[in-house]
Amino acid sequence: MTHRKIWIGLVLAALALLMTACQKAQGPKIEILDAWGRPSPKVATAGAFYMKIRNSGTEDDALIGADSDACGSVELHESFKTPEGAMGMRPVKGGKIVIPAGETVELKMGGLHIMCIDKKVDFTPGTKVKLVLHFEKSGDIPLEIEIRQPMKK
Amino acid sequence: MSVAKRGLWWGLGALLLIAVGWWGWQRFRPYAFHGTVLQSAEPAPDFTLMSADGPVSLSDFRGKIVLLYFGYTFCPDVCPTTLFEVQKTMELLGEDADQVQLIMISVDPLRDTPERLKEYVQYFHPSFIGVTGSEDEIAQVATQYGIYYQKHEGTPATGYLVDHTATITVVDKKGYVKLIFPYGTPAEDMAADLKYLIEH
Repeated sequence: MTHRKIWIGLVLAALALLMTACQKAQGPKIEILDAWGRPSPKVATAGAFYMKIRNSGTEDDALIGADSDACGSVELHESFKTPEGAMGMRPVKGGKIVIPAGETVELKMGGLHIMCIDKKVDFTPGTKVKLVLHFEKSGDIPLEIEIRQPMKK
Repeated sequence: MSVAKRGLWWGLGALLLIAVGWWGWQRFRPYAFHGTVLQSAEPAPDFTLMSADGPVSLSDFRGKIVLLYFGYTFCPDVCPTTLFEVQKTMELLGEDADQVQLIMISVDPLRDTPERLKEYVQYFHPSFIGVTGSEDEIAQVATQYGIYYQKHEGTPATGYLVDHTATITVVDKKGYVKLIFPYGTPAEDMAADLKYLIEH
């Protein structure tokens, strides 16, 4: 084997490595920050989870749903101001929350939230609730969310 | 007296005037409310609705400051956010908190029973009262207080949802509507306004 052949082989190998590395860096990269659940009385059938969802990848992704053993069902909702100046709540448009590449979307009080319908456990402060988020591209992300009082603004 | 000394006295005099003026302004300027002030010519309309502990009328609380909040127990985001803020307000008021009475009026009389409402509001503060009535009674009270609410379809899991005005109506000690706190008014602002109303 000549030196030249070894060199070509090395360069090709390096290129191949570089390409796989590039491919890995493409696509969405989802991170969940500051997730928490709001305490609510037993009698309130619905509870709410809030969090920040960061996408540091190169492609948009979307939260399309969630599941929890602690809830009869889980839906993505948003509170909004109606044309009459009242506050309303509705399922999110298109059934999903888009997380654009390079952006952080905040689910917060009075805005987007994950709603837990027919709570199976008490949402008392300190309780931990398991929640699995379903993303369009990134798949499932399991979380353990603590129920706590809202932080001061 | 030298020119320099005279200048010094003038300067000191001017500073004193500014200090007295500033003190006077701080002491006697009119209080600026955080909430929206209403000048009511008539007392707030009285109503009698049902709580888990019997009928409740607005006039039962003459001499106290009453906070009226229209909401429903199925509401998982907007109502708890507001009630939590009032809970903090009560904490900030300390001993004066017993001069303030929150009454939550259900805009979902079909699903909210007096018992449900009691458990719901007392989760936020033991003094809070929850009341409901027939659909007609609720509609009448809401209209009198300029509260908009509208049922709309939710999902199979949620059932119907109710859009509603999410403000807090403040009735003063004499029974007149005095202030409106818009949705999102911080506890510190509400506590300052209520403290002023308690003391004046």
